[in-house]
Amino acid sequence: MKDIARQSLSIKVESMDLLNNQIKMEAHASATYLAMASWCDQNGFFTGAKFFYKQAEEEREHMMKIFQFVIDAGGNAISPEIGGISHEYSSIVDIFENALDHEIRVTKSIHNIVMKAREVGDLATERFLDWFVLEQVEEENTIRDILDMIELTGTEGVGLQIIDGKINDWID
Amino acid sequence: MELIHSSNYYAFFQSDKERCFYIDFGQKVVRLSFCQLLALRQKVWAIRIEDHFDGELNAHGFEILALCNKEHLFVLNTLEILDLKELLIGAFSFFDICVPTSTRAQRV
Ligand SMILES: [Fe+2]
Ligand SMILES: [Fe+2]
Repeated sequence: MKDIARQSLSIKVESMDLLNNQIKMEAHASATYLAMASWCDQNGFFTGAKFFYKQAEEEREHMMKIFQFVIDAGGNAISPEIGGISHEYSSIVDIFENALDHEIRVTKSIHNIVMKAREVGDLATERFLDWFVLEQVEEENTIRDILDMIELTGTEGVGLQIIDGKINDWID
Repeated sequence: MELIHSSNYYAFFQSDKERCFYIDFGQKVVRLSFCQLLALRQKVWAIRIEDHFDGELNAHGFEILALCNKEHLFVLNTLEILDLKELLIGAFSFFDICVPTSTRAQRV
């Protein structure tokens, strides 16, 4: 008997499930950053807004990268439903702290897929995620650096204005 | 056509010649391509069976399942959904794309 399923799909079906979940997570990250951009714009952090618009776009690119991989592997990529996007933030510090937590959750989720793929010998999925593992280090580092800059600058007086201007250093 | 797995209500077949799968639902036999099979699996996996025991979330305990790009429509009750899940788990365990578990039958 032929294994038609194996002939049709190049990765483990469990990896496909986890990758579909990751697609959802990247879409959620993109939508969250868009909400953060909106908050920044409304509260006078115009460079901050620019930063988060760009982040939102990048997260969508991550999503599409995974989407395409699932398709290329012969799988069924699912267009994600996104809900529960918070628009409530108490300050610019609150925004970046939330962003960092969000990135850490994404990192953990990617590591989990890598470990599971490794466990079942799904080398294609494991190697595909190499790029994401390194990308997450960069993403976390960017937001950590911005938080350090905010702390150094201080939020008193013209601090907030200086902070917003300096965020430009992380937009390339 | 070869029988791969059967559950209480349903049976799962593979046709090497047609490169597709068949599920005998009792009242109807449905032909599925691999993509359609994956979609069915994802739909069944997404069903929250706990909701069937909540009068507000799923008052009647039925699920409507549209298969193969709306070619087929099934209304299944709680037991039938659980059985379909069991059928798919059993069938997929025969494929190399599925992670083997020691409790499941080895591929023949
Ligand atoms: Fe991402
Ligand atoms: Fe990110």
